[in-house]
Amino acid sequence: MNRTPKMLNSKVAGYSSLITFAILLIAWLAGFSSRLFAVIRFESIIHEFDPWFNYRATAYMVQNGWYNFLNWFDERAWYPLGRIVGGTVYPGLMITSGGIHWLLHVLNIPVHIRDICVFLAPIFSGLTSISTYLLTKELWSAGAGLFAASFIAIVPGYISRSVAGSYDNEGIAIFALQFTYFLWVRSVKTGSVFWSAAAALSYFYMVSAWGGYVFIINLIPLHVFVLLIMGRYSPRLLTSYSTFYILGLLFSMQIPFVGFQPIRTSEHMAALGVFVLLMAVATLRHLQSVLSRNEFRKLFIVGGLLVGVGVFVAVVVLTMLGVVAPWSGRFYSLWDTGYAKIHIPIIASVSEHQPTTWFSFFFDLHILVCAFPVGVWYCIKQINDERVFVVLYAISAVYFAGVMVRLMLTLTPVVCMLAGVAFSGLLDVFLQEDSSKRMGTAVSSATEVDEAEDSIEKKTLYDKAGKLKHRTKHDAQQDTGISSNLKSIVILAVLMLLMMFAVHCTWVTSNAYSSPSIVLAFHNSQDGSRNILDDFREAYYWLSQNTADDARVMSWWDYGYQIAGMANRTTLVDNNTWNNSHIALVGKAMSSTEEKSYEIMTSLDVDYVLVIFGGVIGYSGDDINKFLWMVRIAEGEHPKDIKESDYFTDRGEFRVDAEGAPALLNCLMYKLSYYRFGELKLDYRGPSGYDRTRNAVIGNKDFDLTYLEEAYTTEHWLVRIYRVKKPHEFNRPSLKTKERTIPPANFISRKNSKRRKGYIRNRPVVVKGKRTLK
Amino acid sequence: MYVSKFEASMATNFVIYLAFGALLCLATAKGEIVNTNVERTLDLTSQLVKTTTKISAEDSAGKPIVEYVFFTSEPSLAYIAVKDSGDKSVPFKRNDPVKGEQSFTFTFPKAATKQTFVVETVASKGIRPHPEEIRQNDKQFVRYTGNLHLYSKYRTTSQKTNVKLSSSNILSHTQVKPFSVSSNKITLGPYDNAEAFSQEALVIHYENSAPFVTVNTLERTLEISHWGNIAVQESIQMTHTGAKLKGSFSRYDFQKEGRSGLAALKSYKTYLPASASGVYYRDTNGNISTSNMNSVRDFIELELRPRFPLFGGWKTQYTLGYNVPSYEYMFNDGNKYQLKMHLIDHIYDNMAIDEATIKIILPEGSSDIRLSTPYSISRLPNELVHTYLDTIGRPVVSFSKSNLVESHISDFTLYYSFSKTSMLQEPLLVSGFIYIIFLFTIIFLRLDFSITSHAHKE
Repeated sequence: MNRTPKMLNSKVAGYSSLITFAILLIAWLAGFSSRLFAVIRFESIIHEFDPWFNYRATAYMVQNGWYNFLNWFDERAWYPLGRIVGGTVYPGLMITSGGIHWLLHVLNIPVHIRDICVFLAPIFSGLTSISTYLLTKELWSAGAGLFAASFIAIVPGYISRSVAGSYDNEGIAIFALQFTYFLWVRSVKTGSVFWSAAAALSYFYMVSAWGGYVFIINLIPLHVFVLLIMGRYSPRLLTSYSTFYILGLLFSMQIPFVGFQPIRTSEHMAALGVFVLLMAVATLRHLQSVLSRNEFRKLFIVGGLLVGVGVFVAVVVLTMLGVVAPWSGRFYSLWDTGYAKIHIPIIASVSEHQPTTWFSFFFDLHILVCAFPVGVWYCIKQINDERVFVVLYAISAVYFAGVMVRLMLTLTPVVCMLAGVAFSGLLDVFLQEDSSKRMGTAVSSATEVDEAEDSIEKKTLYDKAGKLKHRTKHDAQQDTGISSNLKSIVILAVLMLLMMFAVHCTWVTSNAYSSPSIVLAFHNSQDGSRNILDDFREAYYWLSQNTADDARVMSWWDYGYQIAGMANRTTLVDNNTWNNSHIALVGKAMSSTEEKSYEIMTSLDVDYVLVIFGGVIGYSGDDINKFLWMVRIAEGEHPKDIKESDYFTDRGEFRVDAEGAPALLNCLMYKLSYYRFGELKLDYRGPSGYDRTRNAVIGNKDFDLTYLEEAYTTEHWLVRIYRVKKPHEFNRPSLKTKERTIPPANFISRKNSKRRKGYIRNRPVVVKGKRTLK
Repeated sequence: MYVSKFEASMATNFVIYLAFGALLCLATAKGEIVNTNVERTLDLTSQLVKTTTKISAEDSAGKPIVEYVFFTSEPSLAYIAVKDSGDKSVPFKRNDPVKGEQSFTFTFPKAATKQTFVVETVASKGIRPHPEEIRQNDKQFVRYTGNLHLYSKYRTTSQKTNVKLSSSNILSHTQVKPFSVSSNKITLGPYDNAEAFSQEALVIHYENSAPFVTVNTLERTLEISHWGNIAVQESIQMTHTGAKLKGSFSRYDFQKEGRSGLAALKSYKTYLPASASGVYYRDTNGNISTSNMNSVRDFIELELRPRFPLFGGWKTQYTLGYNVPSYEYMFNDGNKYQLKMHLIDHIYDNMAIDEATIKIILPEGSSDIRLSTPYSISRLPNELVHTYLDTIGRPVVSFSKSNLVESHISDFTLYYSFSKTSMLQEPLLVSGFIYIIFLFTIIFLRLDFSITSHAHKE
């Protein structure tokens, strides 16, 4: 780092490692505890939708062992198709928590697997901040690394996916992503096989954990490619990339869900191409050193052309033959934001797949989004091999984050890193003492800032700031560059910014990202008490206790995982959404009339139908509000039967009141949502059947269900479950076969002589030769 | 061939038993005990049949009565207790059932020619819903079938039965004169001179909207810690065994109409010991957020609401747990310990438990375990469990008992010995572990393990 007397150096090293350790520990603790809002406010519970599947799969694995999990055919999902779970999941998450569970149980610590699942993401957030520290340290400096580690520990963009209970792939994948990048940068720097093999191993973990591994396998080749273009080829690059690519390829193919994709799909072709290119460049370099200049030029032109054409033709032919699959629809939607809306409504129907708004950039990243370009600029200004990487990472992540809200997550780490670089650069300038003085203080003071910023209490922050200010003033007296006043003002301003950042992060985490979404809480405006709406669990528990074990429940796909996880019943469609036509069939059943949907339901052996209805409490995420997506998805597969325009009024409005479209007012979803709601008066003064979510009195109030009957409705009507009647139950009274024949007692024939058999009254008398009267 | 031989031997055995039994009968019949006056009170207000029978017996020969054989016709008798005129309990033993008929032999501490005593019995499942299925807005009607007379081995001179019902809405009842009905009470009798073993059916069909809830399985776990805490956990699976719900459930009716779902179980009260703390009420999906806790002077009243109202035929399952300080229940003399706790505890009023399993987890290293219970139980084999920081595992005493009612709430006593020094094992284990970690870290950081020697890079 810098040249100072040995004694001082070791002392500083000791302090700086202590401070580093302390700050990383505090970052871990702060990150962990700020993710616990949901646990404290509610309970240790799995959140939302996908985590329920992950939890169920993990519980299955813990119960039945790893091999049974790999071979698990889940007959409770996608009835009647079933789902091969072992082959269609990224098992990294389950292995991680299953491994922790196993270890704890070996040590006789009987922690329930649910609690491990709940707390996995917060624990991994600490590992993420450590790996971010390591990566930033490789790219810039330890001080920047500590900043970055503290940022990522509490930044909302990452917390949104890793609060306690949000047991999802992203929780561990961001750690794997950062750690892989760290090892990659390390291996590029050192050119050591060890580090690149480690990077490949970490990549393997990432592949096992999240589908986002494609980002790594495209970014690293891009880095290599850009380095080649920039003329920064080195044997170190050759070693690290070829080791990483080959090992990574082999490892990634071990995951059953990935299988042969890395050599067969277009998403992975870039890595192969760069590998071939790198080999070619290495060969040419070698030849260059062996051959004469003229020979080499000839060889270069001819060989280069041949190879180029050959590779192109090979790729085209392989794609045409179907050996290499073309890009998948989800991948296209990354390039063309309108693609999904037209071609894959099911992707577009998910809110997290929408393009990101400017607001959410600031909401999720706050001050970091402003500091981030500064960091990019610093990196570009002082470019080297690994900074090329971080710049590419930044640019691509910004693009992807702009396309999809969900990919905000991949942007967050790089923003933290580069903002760390920016703040560290700023403090380097404004906290500089004499040029000869050690950099250690810069690091340590920067870390103190971190520390202050971590401990969110304002008091300590002001304390620390005061101390800092005092010291800088004292030291700055000999300083000649920037006046001490300016310095202290800038430092104060930076500290204020960081403090506001910490406050903002806590506020966002507490308000936006800490709701389990299966338990709702609302504050009673009259007495200020906090009420809990537990309707989802009420309904799911009812299903689990009071229906047959093999009952099949039809619902919109959003609730599939929750039904499977909490009620343990067979579902028709779930959040896996792999089979569009099956979902469309359910959508068609929901949007058809009762008779038509009864046909569909009997053909699918449906026993119960579950709908979410928020009209009583004003819950906006209910099925009527999602209904248009059902119609759209159904129309995609059954354009003859379902037309979206039928569900709109003439003026193109979607309304549920008396002016609503008749197709809407008579479809199954409408009837199931509003069955007997027309009689309900929510206010004494208001009309009956007033829907609070859509602020309208419903249009079709008085109707009965023929083919279904209400089986259960939760306390606040949020979840309504209907039983599909068996054919003998509806319309006609059920009579035993004995009773069906009418007894022939007291039968008197009314035929007398006049009423003979075949006698027709008022028969026209036909007289020959005369016309009959009309 | 072999089989027939075996049967033959059985048959001869049977004949011998029969002869022996007849002799026994003769021997006792010589005494000629007569029930001079019998007053029965049948409490049919809940799902349980609570019978209080006051019997005055006399020996016609004037001999002192030492033993009295009491028969019961209740098919699922859960509880029986006998008290003499001085309100002291009379010891009894259960005889082997003959042809499905249960009988008990009371042995009086003081032999007298005239004995007056009170027999209390509680039977579950004696009252059945009739009709078995009702709609949500219907009332629940039930039918009690019993015996009009005291089913006795002895002749009864005079007897009277008072029946208490839950409502005055009586659809029908057995009408053997003399009888009288006043609102929710029926008085049958007095009937004179009933022969021994005389049987006549008593059927009462009436409205009973008390929720008929049965606990199918109760698993009660008591975990003893010598650090001053006893953790109690009860997993309960319960079913509404009243009239089943026919047709659909309507939330609208349930919310708007007062007469809807009268027999449904909406909430109930569980009483916990006054010192209970850290109460939790949850199921497999997490915390059940609908419960209230009130501290009354000498107990805690817990108002539990299942996630959904229990209608006829519906089931639910939950876990209730709490901690109590151990000094209230544990007594020691040196290394000898004694644990005195309720074998089962209150779940809801007039509860009926089909099957209860009780597990007591003792601290690691307990030995010489001996259990004494207030009534007979079936002991299950001891197990070992491993929880936090255990090495050899904790001994678990477990036993089960079927058909329990509220009257069964009483203390068991468990004796065991435990040396206080083994309490130190766990803290030592933890500190040793941490010590080893530090030691390894020190060794690892102080020594250089690299294969090649390279200059220290700055």
